[in-house]
Amino acid sequence: MEIRLEKLCKYFGKVKAVDKLDLEIKDREFVALLGPSGCGKTTTLLMIAGIYRPTSGYIRFDGQVVNHLLPKERNIGMVFQSYALYPHMTVFDNIAYPLRLKRTPKRVMRERVQRVADMMGIGDLLDRRPAQLSGGQQQRVAVARALVKEPAILLFDEPLSNLDAKLRLRMRGEIKRLQEDLGITSVYVTHDQVEAMTMASRIAVMNKGLLQAYGTPEQLYERPDTLFVAGFIGAPPMNFIQVTFTKKDDGYFLEKGSFSLRLPEEKGRLAEENQAPPQVIMGIRPEDVRVVPEGGDLRAEVYVIEPLGREDLVTFRFDDEEIRALVPAPFRGRSGDVWGLELNREKLHLFHPETQCSLLRRE
Amino acid sequence: MKTKASWLKRWWRPLLAYVILIIPSLVIAVGYVWLLITSFSTRTEGLRSLGWTLQNWRFLWESPFGPRVPSIWQVTLNTLIMSLIMTLIVVGVSSLAGYALARMKFPGRKGFLSLTLILHAFPSVTLLIPIYFVLLWIQKIPLIGSGIPLIGGFGYNTIGGVALVMMAFQLPFGIWVMKGFFDNISWDMERSALIDGASRFKVWWQIVMPNIKPGIAALSIFSFLTAWNAYLIPLTFTSGRAGRFSVLSLYVQNFISESVMTEWNAVAAVGLFQLIPVVLFFLFTQEALLNIYSGGRKGGV
Repeated sequence: MEIRLEKLCKYFGKVKAVDKLDLEIKDREFVALLGPSGCGKTTTLLMIAGIYRPTSGYIRFDGQVVNHLLPKERNIGMVFQSYALYPHMTVFDNIAYPLRLKRTPKRVMRERVQRVADMMGIGDLLDRRPAQLSGGQQQRVAVARALVKEPAILLFDEPLSNLDAKLRLRMRGEIKRLQEDLGITSVYVTHDQVEAMTMASRIAVMNKGLLQAYGTPEQLYERPDTLFVAGFIGAPPMNFIQVTFTKKDDGYFLEKGSFSLRLPEEKGRLAEENQAPPQVIMGIRPEDVRVVPEGGDLRAEVYVIEPLGREDLVTFRFDDEEIRALVPAPFRGRSGDVWGLELNREKLHLFHPETQCSLLRRE
Repeated sequence: MKTKASWLKRWWRPLLAYVILIIPSLVIAVGYVWLLITSFSTRTEGLRSLGWTLQNWRFLWESPFGPRVPSIWQVTLNTLIMSLIMTLIVVGVSSLAGYALARMKFPGRKGFLSLTLILHAFPSVTLLIPIYFVLLWIQKIPLIGSGIPLIGGFGYNTIGGVALVMMAFQLPFGIWVMKGFFDNISWDMERSALIDGASRFKVWWQIVMPNIKPGIAALSIFSFLTAWNAYLIPLTFTSGRAGRFSVLSLYVQNFISESVMTEWNAVAAVGLFQLIPVVLFFLFTQEALLNIYSGGRKGGV
């Protein structure tokens, strides 16, 4: 089922929870709605589910406007953060509830519940009650309940946030695989960019009710269109430094105090075409900063070293700015030492300080 | 010496709590024991019986006031029916209204909530006379007024009428309590049921109501006891202690009159008789009763 949102708005009083959202989700696609809390992603999901009525705009399933349809007429399955299991029913009754409402014959119902429960690995828990299950098991029941009616669309509302880290990693893989196997169009709401990156085929980044970017994880990571997206995607986050952008006889330069860096010709020209102001924001990811004992693009003082296991995250300071670098562990410096930093010019990003748009995008 | 000190240190708090609780409880307990002894005695001197007898309980097997006054069993049945009707209606209406107030948006919702709170605090005594006229008016309606078997009807001097008035006074409280319980149910559960294919009514009946059983139980018990012990309203809106629709709290009055000496021992017996179901209720349902204040969150407009 293809989902299309057109100029979708949802206002709560004067608060614009979702504002003029345009989004197209292809059949069998797995799309993540990513953003900080309160950005409107869950509101969007609940509008697709039919729980909230849009203030304006359209929701189309396979071209048909479904704005007026009740949740039960939309053939969707949804998994909630709180699992939303019915505590007074057994696991079997929980999973069977959608079928029971459709008056499915008993024999068919039992078969289908057993099949989907086996698929989720909870086939032997059917006569328990939700309170007798672990968080991970409850999660599986919730997924099974969403799947049992063979929905055309699956909606996930932060389904993994209540699980511990290890289980989350595991369910992440399982849900992704399940979606691939079943080929059900899925929308997945999360504030965890790692979840969105690892699971979704495309990510819609939202902030303050507005769509910030929509693209594949790779696109958003390598070529973020806005400062917000660049800062939100990637962990540890991208470094941002205010620098001066100048054009000289022998090329384009970024400068700040003693620091001067010559931009690759192509990037410089792109920035000029995009009308870069004199002051721009330079962005560079920690993994694109190399730490060298001598030389480098700039000299900076080690402020703090945070070992992450495989790598050390080192925070440097220069000219009142902070810059983080991922260094292969173990890093042999100490706080206070001065090291050289080499920035990977090919991976530099430039942003307009006011519009916050990328200066390296091609029209 | 050391062990004694540590013993005191560990136990002085619970000990103090027990002492503080026992003193007032003792006062009440002595009252009940007195009542019990009195009901089985010819005369008493304090807690001491001056002769044991079952005479005070004879109202159970004979009619001490002649055939014109309904028997204790008729009166008990009246009380039971009145309490049940009131409980059923209060729980039913409160569940529906509480759900709507907790979950739905409609114009005047906040006003309605404040109004119920005001009504809850309203001194009901001041309304007795207007209600009396309302009941007289209802009585004139054919059938509904006074033509229904068993409960009489819903007009003046009927069980239904008394239940109706009691219910009206109990509803604001019931609605607030139920709203508190509904407020505690997660939205996600309801949304999930809607997506699973349930209608709003089915969500309420199949998903929400089973999850507030403690609330329903607590409110039922509370309403039932309120009705069972009610005195003022039955007194005002029935023809009184000797009437066809007398209730237990009025029946006691038969033993108290100006012309004959009051049979205090019989009064004690009737009082105990009325108390029996209440005590049984409390023994089996105190947990649910406590729920009304702890489980159900009151407030939150």
